[in-house]
Amino acid sequence: MDLLSNKWIVNVLICCFFIGVGCNSVEKKIYVHLNYTVPCVRLLNATHQIGCQSSLSGNVGVLHVLESEDNLDWVLSKGPNPPYLVILEAALFTRSIMMKLKNGSNRVAGVAVVAPNTNPTEPFSPYTTCPNENTGVYTEKYDPAYAHCNVTVWNPLGNGLAYEEFDFPIFSLKDDNDTQVIRQCFLDHNQVVNGSAPQYPLCAMQLYSHMSAVTDTATCMRRNDINFSISPEGVCDPLGDSNVWASSRPINTTQKGHKNSENVIIAAARLDSRSFFFDIAPGAQSSVTGFVSLLAAAHALRNATQEAPPNRTILYTFFQGETFDYIGSSRMVYDMENNQFAVDLDNVHSVLEVGQVGLRSDSQLWLHSDPVSRRNSSVNDEVRKLIENLQVASKDLNVTVNQPQASQPLPPSSFQRFLRARPIPGIVIEDHQSVFTNRYYESMYDNAEYLNISYPSNLTADEQLEHITETATALTEVATMVARALYIQAGGEESRLPSITAEARLVTRMLYSLLIKSNNSWFQEIIPSEFMSRLTEKPTNFYVGVANWQSSEPTFLVQYLLANLTGTVVNVTKEDCQHQREDDKDKESHHLYHYMWVQGSVPPNGTQRESFCVRSTVHLSKALSPAFDPLKEYTSTEYSTWTESRWKTIKGRIFLVASHELEVSLRQSG
Amino acid sequence: MNLERLPNEEKLSLCRKYYLGGFAFLPFLWLVNVVWFFREAFVKPAYTEQLQIKTYVKRSAFGLLLWVAVLTTWITIFQHFRAEWGEVGDYLSFTIPLGIP
Repeated sequence: MDLLSNKWIVNVLICCFFIGVGCNSVEKKIYVHLNYTVPCVRLLNATHQIGCQSSLSGNVGVLHVLESEDNLDWVLSKGPNPPYLVILEAALFTRSIMMKLKNGSNRVAGVAVVAPNTNPTEPFSPYTTCPNENTGVYTEKYDPAYAHCNVTVWNPLGNGLAYEEFDFPIFSLKDDNDTQVIRQCFLDHNQVVNGSAPQYPLCAMQLYSHMSAVTDTATCMRRNDINFSISPEGVCDPLGDSNVWASSRPINTTQKGHKNSENVIIAAARLDSRSFFFDIAPGAQSSVTGFVSLLAAAHALRNATQEAPPNRTILYTFFQGETFDYIGSSRMVYDMENNQFAVDLDNVHSVLEVGQVGLRSDSQLWLHSDPVSRRNSSVNDEVRKLIENLQVASKDLNVTVNQPQASQPLPPSSFQRFLRARPIPGIVIEDHQSVFTNRYYESMYDNAEYLNISYPSNLTADEQLEHITETATALTEVATMVARALYIQAGGEESRLPSITAEARLVTRMLYSLLIKSNNSWFQEIIPSEFMSRLTEKPTNFYVGVANWQSSEPTFLVQYLLANLTGTVVNVTKEDCQHQREDDKDKESHHLYHYMWVQGSVPPNGTQRESFCVRSTVHLSKALSPAFDPLKEYTSTEYSTWTESRWKTIKGRIFLVASHELEVSLRQSG
Repeated sequence: MNLERLPNEEKLSLCRKYYLGGFAFLPFLWLVNVVWFFREAFVKPAYTEQLQIKTYVKRSAFGLLLWVAVLTTWITIFQHFRAEWGEVGDYLSFTIPLGIP
């Protein structure tokens, strides 16, 4: 090569270096991608499919910000550019509007709901009016008078939206700058001017949330298993997780089935919740208040049950998946009936369940019981004794316990699955006399704000963790009462009762960590180092999710919390601890105890965490519906058959769209 | 392959092979037979083997029409009713669409 071309090459390179080579993707100039996309997904059970579906290549629709319900006829009949993608403010996300959109679905490409930053004033519950109607204890066989919520409709504010089937995608958007861009795009391009239709180009949005599963659980589980297709693809997965349980006195867990001489009081609470949208479930009043009270009660009972152990053992159980036809509790009852659990149903003396207890009016708590099983006099006597113990326990506390009407059935609770197996005496503690007082039951607004948990604005995160709110004080009273009642019910001495008190400091820390931010200094101390990355900066998501090998955030948080609150620190090396033994020769401890190596705190003048071993009786038990695991009866009416569909991409984007005629003519001429 | 250059006996044997081959559930052989030998059988001036070739082409055409009718009917029924047949439909399918019944 001669000198001249060399010189040219060097010239070009130098020019590029100085000017800078920039490449602009054409895609970036056309599309604005949505950052925060929360879809509604498809769930299936034995008979139905619920949720939303988009087409494989996304649903495109011309944006329309809905002003009021009357404005709907622009979308449904008058508008000249169907299909429309409707943007709804939260106040308009009601059943009547959604049903009208569902019926006009050939002109509706999708819906995007703008989630407000503060809770709305209107009640909103996307759940059904009669929760878990067919899998509770009140069936036609048990007592037809109580079946299908004939006597009490527990969730009267429920609009059942989460259980409808939509064939367009529904996404949730946060009310922030991105959404303002969307509204501005609508105002600039799509607004109706003087009654005349807006001209092309128009602002449009495309939403992708194609769900693979269809029809019902039996179909999708069958399609999961088909062998001879070219590329076998899973289409759905069953919902499930793990239950967390612990006992006040160690029980041999390797030996399953009936244990002679064990008489067990089950103290139950549920862990999970849901909302209309996927992976958002703050569940504050629906589940957090219940299980936080039970955790605080377990802590209050730690000293008393170790120093003066009562006759009967208390089994603290936290059930997952109760929202979806009692997945956790039905599995535990099934295991107990089939000798797959450490105790069986003959060992169960009584059940005390803590339900929604965060919104007490006048400090009253209501003790619900089952009128049908109480027709048997021995069951009735035991229930009366339990109620008396609860009344004794609530003396000197800022809690009054009352009984609702004698003919009122049990509210939806895990205790119903135990009753379905055999008549066991039991009480469910709630803060509502008959129907729920929770205005946002199982919705995305059931959060810390609804429970009035607020902190003064000048506190740092660590100070907020320690600040005792009024809600925390109220829940501490409930926890103390539950602890004392459990102690007497288990056969303990009444003289020890004044020493059993729950700590408000503990309750407020738990409420902060679960409802506001789980990545804080206290939680970091009580979990092992491998779980550090799973703590989040957002409120904990209590959706039960798909049953996989990894337990979800609420499950492992409650597991380590319960171990910290009921277990003891033992002086064991890390290796022994992780091998479930106290020293080299110990072969017996792993039958009774569970050992966990947790991170511990950072000392004030050091950087390394002082880790230690916690010995407790906390175990996980599988919470997968019996319809999937041993039985494979996917059309079962006895057990939960809920599955969640799989999907490939979930995303959304906005762009300007030209008229259809222009597109066609460009294509032809090209 | 240019049929012009073949002697008549070979044309006949080729036509016969395609005709017989089509009975092995290979209707495309019959389609090829009909298209390829149509001119030989009906347009060209007569020669000794042409009568045989004509019968083969006619029979191939008949068999082809039968296959087309059967396949069209079956495909229409399957596409329409596969979703309703549930389990049977899934076991008969090679690829099952995602997300739609």
